[in-house]
Amino acid sequence: MKKKILLVDDSSTVILMEKMILAKGPYEILTARDGVEGVAKAKSEQPDVILLDVMMPNLDGLSACTAIRNDEATAHIPIVMVTTRGEEHNMETAYRNGCTDYVTKPINGLELLTKLNNILGLAAAS
Amino acid sequence: MKLQEGRPFVDKVNSDTREYVQLLLEEIHRLNQTLTDFSSRYVDVEQQNTNLANLYVATYQLHGTLDRDRVLAAIKEVIINLIGSEELGIWEINGDALTLLDSFGIDAQKWDRVALDGGGGLIGLVAETGQRYIAGEADVVGGGPQESLTACIPLKLDDTVIGVIGIFQLLPQKEGFEPIDLELFELLGSHAATALYCTRATSRLMVVS
Repeated sequence: MKKKILLVDDSSTVILMEKMILAKGPYEILTARDGVEGVAKAKSEQPDVILLDVMMPNLDGLSACTAIRNDEATAHIPIVMVTTRGEEHNMETAYRNGCTDYVTKPINGLELLTKLNNILGLAAAS
Repeated sequence: MKLQEGRPFVDKVNSDTREYVQLLLEEIHRLNQTLTDFSSRYVDVEQQNTNLANLYVATYQLHGTLDRDRVLAAIKEVIINLIGSEELGIWEINGDALTLLDSFGIDAQKWDRVALDGGGGLIGLVAETGQRYIAGEADVVGGGPQESLTACIPLKLDDTVIGVIGIFQLLPQKEGFEPIDLELFELLGSHAATALYCTRATSRLMVVS
């Protein structure tokens, strides 16, 4: 059975890149273009994992992460933050807001696949 | 007596077993080596996949529109998300100077106009010579006042420079340019120029018609 992955990013470049990387995996891909849409789709679609950008209009990734964690219906969904900011303090904030893991841009395909498959319990990639 | 008679048989079994175990150990070693080779090849293939995805995404984004603002946004997104810099400028040659078309993370007023008479530093020199500048590479265009510049790519239509892309600081987690970044620079140099030219040609056509 395909695992459902929700990609939340306002950049069509990043969404396309993530789709290309995940295309050959056993995944069903859903997308959202900002934090508000991401939170709504997390609730309605119940994805297996969420890839969440940090800098987004309407609702940024850190706030969206908190909202997803605070909602009983979505609190269990693993969240991987995707950020251009590699500094430690940004990652600390992300973890405090409830993210499961993070990857930094530019996205490394192998790193992303390995992290996702570890989270999803798919042994093949690890 | 019977025990002694059985001794050669036991020795033979022991010897065969040791030989068999040795063969098994060698086979395990060989399989481990094969596994390591496959893992290494898997990493290489995944890296190649990512690189190809980068190039495909950049091309797709640059040529997905004839709207100038969207082409400029696509160039910025490629640099921010695929190359890894949040300080950049895109200039176009306009008479005797470079005019800043769009930027991200830099002082747009400061970089609004770059002279092409030799006083434009590295950015001006790249536009004049058509040779790219990458910090750390051989000094192809000589020094200039823009020491904070990490890379500067001429935008070329055939051999004619129509503008430049300047990249300043890289993201903190990015230690330097990788081979795929250089390929992206090549791609941007020609495809971004073509895409920008097409937007101008389209708008002129629309005015005429």
